[in-house]
Amino acid sequence: MLPEQLTEHLNIALPPLLADKLTGTGVTDLERLSGGANNETWRLTWGDTPLILRRRPFSAGAVANLEGNILGLSLLDEAQVIQLASHTAVPVPTVYGVFDEQHPIGEAFIMAFIGGESIPQRWLTEAAFAPARDQLAYQCGEALARIHTIDCANLPGTIGPTTLTRRFEAAQDRLHAFGNVSPALQFGLNWLVDHAPADTPHVLLHGDFRTGNLLINNSGLCGVLDWELTHQGPPGEDLGYLCAHVWRFGQLQNPVGGFGDYADLIAGYKSVAGWSPDLSTIRYWEIFAALSWGLVCQTMGALWKSGQGDVERAAVARRRSEAELDMLLLIDEWED
Amino acid sequence: MNREEEMLSAEVSADSLLGAVKSFLIESAAPHLEGRDRFNARVAANVLGIIQREQTIRPALQALDQDAATRWLPDIDAGANIIQQLSLALARREIENEPGIFDYLKARQLLVTAINNPKYASRAIAKQRWQSN
Repeated sequence: MLPEQLTEHLNIALPPLLADKLTGTGVTDLERLSGGANNETWRLTWGDTPLILRRRPFSAGAVANLEGNILGLSLLDEAQVIQLASHTAVPVPTVYGVFDEQHPIGEAFIMAFIGGESIPQRWLTEAAFAPARDQLAYQCGEALARIHTIDCANLPGTIGPTTLTRRFEAAQDRLHAFGNVSPALQFGLNWLVDHAPADTPHVLLHGDFRTGNLLINNSGLCGVLDWELTHQGPPGEDLGYLCAHVWRFGQLQNPVGGFGDYADLIAGYKSVAGWSPDLSTIRYWEIFAALSWGLVCQTMGALWKSGQGDVERAAVARRRSEAELDMLLLIDEWED
Repeated sequence: MNREEEMLSAEVSADSLLGAVKSFLIESAAPHLEGRDRFNARVAANVLGIIQREQTIRPALQALDQDAATRWLPDIDAGANIIQQLSLALARREIENEPGIFDYLKARQLLVTAINNPKYASRAIAKQRWQSN
């Protein structure tokens, strides 16, 4: 949709939503932000207040027949989960309104803009963020423990309970559905099945809590974004995911997200929850995260072949080989 | 024909053509583009790099896979997809404990990442670990 059209639709839709919350009469400075392989992110100003619009640019139904699509939740459900998280001390943006796919804007929601740095290549390495990085692993542990306290009874019906066995079956289905193109991912899946931890009680997981989806300021963590992969699972999964090689953005020496140490992450989690998954459990879920990323890359390739997406999506399909390498490397290290 | 011989002849190899298009995308096109198109021009240049490296490395990869087929898929039909058949044999749990299978997968992955992203940080660690054994 062209920015002019979107502005027109927003100027009709927003006044009743924002009337008693923000001053302003119309949208200015609408600008599409880069990034986001599935959903568009737009920044706009309402009066003097910057806002963010998350919008799905195509009908989810168009790709629903692709086995194992990686679109995650509908934006409506994602908005509902963010609202649930806002009742904890987890820093999330205020959601002002949601639109379903019948709305002229399309499936979307509008929320507050949180200031902070999201680009990993900046805050992972720049000296100005060093004090923030020092406390970030602990803060991430705290935030994850708080997310895990959200009552699953309040979740949208699409975020149902599952089991580890079902997750393995789903992964195997996806390897078969896409033509069994990766002996490395198959070997890794076999290993994960054989080394699975005892299934623990499931909690609400963010599902994509990682460097790149966090907003950082001088005090550390100031925003947790991108809740579209939220699901139920064992707590250790979220911690291991944050430590996955792919989300360290080249800073492999810092196992937690490329910025911190395991001990700080565990201590932060324990400070809120009173307990924490142990290191070996976290490392197991790092290997699982490599499988997940490999499957996402594989799905990206299938989506691109079906005509959805541009050259970036085609290129991401080749990044499957990084996930395959990580799986083999982590298994090799585990076996030592 | 190596690069030096090519310089002396009238031939322009596929590799050189890819290099020319890559230079065009980065040096000529990208500076005139904005936003998503500028980003995608750089992605496209990287994709051409993948194709260049694949041309060079593919023969070694095919030889490795053929050797794996000889060892673990003795009954495979000529022309069958070796990678798919290996994956299926692993899924059926028929070959995962065969001596050498893990080493094959590791060697294969070093080649595949050499094509797709030779600078991936884990690759340096994996290479040091697996090639010193």
